[in-house]
Order: sequence, then C-alpha cells, then structure tokens
Amino acid sequence: MDNFEKYIKENKALFDVHKADKSKLWSNIESGLNKPDSNTKTIKLWSMPLFKVAATVFIALGLFSLINISLIGKANKNTQNNVALQELNDINSHYKGLVAYQVKLVNKSTQLSSEEKKEFLSFMDELDIEYELLKVELQKNVDSERILEAIVINYKKRIELIENLLEQINSSKKLDNDDVYTL
Amino acid sequence: METNILYTHKSLVEKSKLGDRNAQYKLYELYVDAMYNISMRMMHIKEDAEDVVQDSFIEAFNNLSSFRYESTFGSWLKRIVINKSINQLKKKKIPVVPIENQMYHIKEDTEDVPPDIDIKNIIKGIRLLPSGYQKIINLYLIEGYDHIEISEILEISPSTSKSQYHRAKKKLIEIVKTL
Repeated sequence: MDNFEKYIKENKALFDVHKADKSKLWSNIESGLNKPDSNTKTIKLWSMPLFKVAATVFIALGLFSLINISLIGKANKNTQNNVALQELNDINSHYKGLVAYQVKLVNKSTQLSSEEKKEFLSFMDELDIEYELLKVELQKNVDSERILEAIVINYKKRIELIENLLEQINSSKKLDNDDVYTL
Repeated sequence: METNILYTHKSLVEKSKLGDRNAQYKLYELYVDAMYNISMRMMHIKEDAEDVVQDSFIEAFNNLSSFRYESTFGSWLKRIVINKSINQLKKKKIPVVPIENQMYHIKEDTEDVPPDIDIKNIIKGIRLLPSGYQKIINLYLIEGYDHIEISEILEISPSTSKSQYHRAKKKLIEIVKTL
C-alpha cells in the first residue's frame, strides 16, 4: 500500500460529507416493511405437507359422504313414497268399490226422498274433498303412516254413514211390513 | 475477537428479526448516514441515492432472517446498498467498469503524492474521473473491498479489477495535482 492509499484509508471518515434526511427516509422505509410478527410464535399448519395431505383426504371424505347421504336420502324418499302409494292403492281398491256400491244402493232406494239423498250425498262430497286433501298430503310425504290412517278413517266414515242410512231404510221397511201384517 | 465484531448490535438485530419497529429504527439510525454516503458516492444524485438507501433498508429488514452473522450487520447492509447502486447505474446505462476507449495512457513511473494533500481535492478529483474509474476507486479505497470482492460486485475478473484500479489511481493522482 503506497502513501496515497494509506492517506486515504486513514482519513476515510472525511469522505462522508452527506447527511441523510432521516425522518423522510424512515417514513418511506416504514411503509415498505412487513407487519411485525405477533409475540406468540405462529406455526403455519397449512404450509406443512402432512397437513395438506390430511386436508385433502378430509375434504374428499366430506364430499363423498355428502353425496352419499343425498343419494341415500333420495332413494329412501322414493322407496317410502312407493310404499305409501302402494298402501293407498290397496286401501282404495278395498274401500272404493264398497263405497261406490253402497252409494248406488242409496241412489236406487225408492224409500228416500230426494232431499234426504241430497243431504247424504253432500256429506259424501265433504268426505271426498277431505280424501283429495289427504292424497295431496301423502305425496308430500310428511308422515305417510298417519295420512294413510286418516284416509282409512275417511273411508270408514263414509261406510258408517251409508250403513246408518241403510239401517234407517231397512227399519222403515220393517215398520211398513209390520203395518201390513197389522192390517 | 473477530466473533465479537460479527455480533455487533446483535440484540438490535435479533429484535429487528422479530419485527420490533423500535429496534429496526435504532439500527436504521446507526447506519443511515454511512449508507447514504456510500450511495451518494456511487449515484451522485441525491434522489437516486435516497431511493437506493430506502430500498436497501426495506430489503434488509424484510430479509433479516437470512442474516446469519457471517459478516457484521453493517457490511451485510453495505453490500446491499452497493449492489442496488450498481443495478441502478446499469439500468441508467451508466458504465460501472472502465471501457477501453476511456483508458488513459499512464506513464509507467509512479509519481509521489504531496503529503499535505487536501481530502476535499481528492473527493473533487474522484468526481472528475470517468464513471468506471470512479466506481473502482470508491470500492477499493473508500469502501475497503478487496479485488476479489470487487470482481464479484462488478462481475469482472480480479486481475481486471487490479489493473483498472491502478490505472484509475494514477489518473486520480494526475488530476489531484492539477487542483
């Protein structure tokens, strides 16, 4: 190292002739710095490969079970609906003919006034409306067992009504016959 | 002893690594003037030098976790400032190494420098050198890098760094004598 070099190195501090604008520079620096870490050390689970694998498996299983549940639910609903409809058909085939036959008998009866017939049939119409409503409810599949029960009760009521009516007719017939014999 | 130097401001550095803003500001305060002067010697323009210093501190603090006390914090930071300055100069197409047609024909015999030479004249003389010579004089004489380090910074061979430095120094002495 020659004298010139030595001289410069010894007086290096004299080359620092500038003063930085500290506050201006710091405000610009601060805005570019990352946010400070929190005091508690954060372990980024999602950056661990094992966690990634576990998360993928978990999501896949979740999706699979969701699809499964919805498919099974749909299938169950269909089977339930089918069973209910089958039962309804059975009920209908049993009672419908019976009711229709008895209604026919009532209509044919000569001993009933048209007013009596009308009154009886209006009861039957009301029960018909109720039956239609129950049928709609059954399709909604809320509680098919109870609805089917209600349908059976509906039919039974019709039969009961008809039976009562027929009983009345018969009893009046008996009375008429008795009269004849009395005479 | 060397280990102690390497760990200068260790507690401030460690706190800064955790994002402690006060510790970062204290480090900044300790080094900002030195870094600004380095940058001014390289860039010569105040605004450019400020940009380099700002960017260097941001990069240093945001990447402090990669600082492993292999050098002092100051020399680590200084290297960031130097590299950023060189990159900026390259972007501005200002030569950072002497180019052939800038080379001066230097007499073989070395001339002695007057002992009472004014530092201000040396600073002025450096400013009158071609850009490539200035960089090599600054890096070797003032910043204290050796030719291997300079070869890395300027992406030249160490022997080129050596020969260019000698040419630059001789030219500087010539200029200073005339001032």
